Amino acid sequence: MVSAVHSSSRRAATLCALALVFAAALAVGAGVGAVRYPPEAIVRAALHPFGAGGADQVLWMLRFPRVLMAALVGAALSLAGALLQGMLRNPLVDPYLTGASAGAACAVAVALVFGFALPALPLVAFVAALATAAFVAALARTGSGISAERLILAGVSLSALFAGVVTLVLVMAPPSSTSLGILAWLGGSLSGRSWPELSWAALYALVGAAAALSLAPALNALRLGEERARALGVNVDRAHWGILGSAALLTAAAVSVSGMVGFVGLIVPHVARRMVGSDARWMLPACALVGAILVVAADALSRALVPPIELPLGVLLSLLGVPAFLYLAFHRRAA
Amino acid sequence: MIEVRNVALAYGTCVFLRDVSFALAPGEVLALVGPNGVGKTTLLRAMAGLHAPAEGEIALDGHVLQAIAPRARAREVALVSADGPIVEGVTVRELVSAGRLPYRPWWRWSPAPEDAGAVDEALARTELSRHAERPFLALSSGERQRVWIALALAQRARTLLLDEPTSHLDVRHAFEALRLVRAFAAQGHAATVVLHDLNLAAAFADRIALFGAGRLLRCGTPEEALDEALLRTAYGVRIDVQRRTDGRVVAFANPNA
Repeated sequence: MVSAVHSSSRRAATLCALALVFAAALAVGAGVGAVRYPPEAIVRAALHPFGAGGADQVLWMLRFPRVLMAALVGAALSLAGALLQGMLRNPLVDPYLTGASAGAACAVAVALVFGFALPALPLVAFVAALATAAFVAALARTGSGISAERLILAGVSLSALFAGVVTLVLVMAPPSSTSLGILAWLGGSLSGRSWPELSWAALYALVGAAAALSLAPALNALRLGEERARALGVNVDRAHWGILGSAALLTAAAVSVSGMVGFVGLIVPHVARRMVGSDARWMLPACALVGAILVVAADALSRALVPPIELPLGVLLSLLGVPAFLYLAFHRRAA
Repeated sequence: MIEVRNVALAYGTCVFLRDVSFALAPGEVLALVGPNGVGKTTLLRAMAGLHAPAEGEIALDGHVLQAIAPRARAREVALVSADGPIVEGVTVRELVSAGRLPYRPWWRWSPAPEDAGAVDEALARTELSRHAERPFLALSSGERQRVWIALALAQRARTLLLDEPTSHLDVRHAFEALRLVRAFAAQGHAATVVLHDLNLAAAFADRIALFGAGRLLRCGTPEEALDEALLRTAYGVRIDVQRRTDGRVVAFANPNA
């Protein structure tokens, strides 16, 4: 697959268009749900934080934090996927390779068994995600650097181990709120989250995103291969640790509030690359926007398809997103 | 000037090349020749600061290479590797611009004017200006090799190291690549080239370093280095060397011996 080559002005236009689509997606996402709000009501509410009207209350208490959370999860997972794919030069890598999400799922399952309160779960998940990623990185360490093969092996192995533990808990636990809670986590969901979770997840995601952008020149050099990057004076070991650290932070921030949302981190970097090319300075922002748009739209759909039931976000993304992507990828190639 | 002093090279504890000493003077092209696996590529990587010698040292203008910061080193020494991953979705100009990375502070995202000048000059010298906006993957092998040389030229380093720049190239394109190296040296810079073709080495290099049996067998003019006995030691086959009427030497393997 030879990616097209893109001029700077075309890339800037693409980013502007994506930002507009993102704003529209936020408005649509906030309007969709058990009660529908027209765009003008959303704009009015956005201009009057926590106003007296019922619509303002619902939008500010429930909808706005939710759509922003969806945007955060989409952007964070996509950026993490792009970082790891760039570092390992492997298009099949996704953010869960670091073991972060499997570790988080395992910790959540165990926490539910021990009767942890639901509001504590994001924190449990966040700590477990970072701890697992750190352990995977420690296993992949060789000298002062990180070996790509060891990272993939360690991540896949630990993920399998934790998935086994989760299944074991599901089988052993009596059918109850515990197993339902675990299943909800595995399916991915944004329900029941509000400003407190959003604010601290956003803090970590922003740190991760800023680190990711600062690594763009190193990522560009790594496209030429590690040897050539080294010859150009890039400290490849330091770049690897930076990339892994920011990807782990982004993934942990996302999974701690949404559970397992698959597909986004794997596919969005490919979509972004098709839109603006592989230059990380353009590709990373495009990635964040496309991921945010995708998850905001999918979350809106999950609430709108069969109300009042909410479909699991991760399941919906896989069921609708994967066929759509496959169609686009193979249809275009055939054309 | 690069000086290689009593260098031994090893992977882990296995030393495969010892007692290598030579100096590379400005304006000079040095060819490294010898059988596969003798350590030519590793020596080239060591001269680029990417492989630490097990013994001895490599000095750049009197400073030990390993002690120079990576970015400062990349402004002095440019390496053209033989292999690397396929680079997709990149124009020739973008790729050559990577040569300016050692000059770019981390907070500067877009190239400075002097970067654009260096890239344009490198493209012009490698006759790639008209291909600048084409995708790298759309180029032929010969053109791609010129792109990697252009990237190294954009580094504006005074020493150029090339690992088998003529592999995959036909005779004409091999000549073109090595002419670029000669032109680089003619500006008062120095170049070291790993080559397998002894006659290309004799035609384009000022001196040849012949490696074999885990050591540097001889470093001298093509006439001095291409010695039948030494070549037999290096390659384990008989290679006949003849002096032509113009004084140049040609070497060819003798399959009947």
